Amino acid sequence: MKNRFKVLRAERDWTQADLAAELDVSRQTIIAIEKGKYDPSLSLAFKAAKLFDMQIEAIFQAPEST
Amino acid sequence: MNDIENNSIAKKSKQNTKSLAIWTGTWLVSLALVAFGPLLLWDYHQAISLCAIALNVVMGYKMIMVNKQHLEDLDELQQRIHLVAMALSLGVSMVFGAVYGLLESIRLVEFEPNPSGVLFVMGISYAVGMVLAHRKYS
Repeated sequence: MKNRFKVLRAERDWTQADLAAELDVSRQTIIAIEKGKYDPSLSLAFKAAKLFDMQIEAIFQAPEST
Repeated sequence: MNDIENNSIAKKSKQNTKSLAIWTGTWLVSLALVAFGPLLLWDYHQAISLCAIALNVVMGYKMIMVNKQHLEDLDELQQRIHLVAMALSLGVSMVFGAVYGLLESIRLVEFEPNPSGVLFVMGISYAVGMVLAHRKYS
């Protein structure tokens, strides 16, 4: 699943550590999400949406089905 | 924004790791007491040995509960990493333990297999699982 974590974070001039602290997760989790290696749970996705003040689908895009 | 020092998950993890280290150490000391106490300290007195075993079980229970709390306080990715490591460790230990226990009865080795060998394999496979899972998600 693609996401806009890195872009949204950069727009707000936040470090990965800042974002990790706000979402109460480890920095490793932020790195894995940004690299697309880990898809967050629904609760973490909602938390991120609230933090960025956006809809979930504006942050995460499901892969196109073939 | 908060910096990493204020990250509550980092704080909890640090506290839990410290607590886990203390209780694991305490459990190991109590295990050493059970192993060496009868010979070196109380000349195989059964009542004292039973007390030492009871103490070891209590310390073991506390260590298990602290470990459980440590895992519950991790974030979702860290929990997944531990799950991968535990799955590998459980599987490898089961396969190794089953075969290892048969070695003497099928006369491939002369010695009686020691159950602590399984604990060693469990620890090594857990560590390998942690490294592999960390690499996968980093």
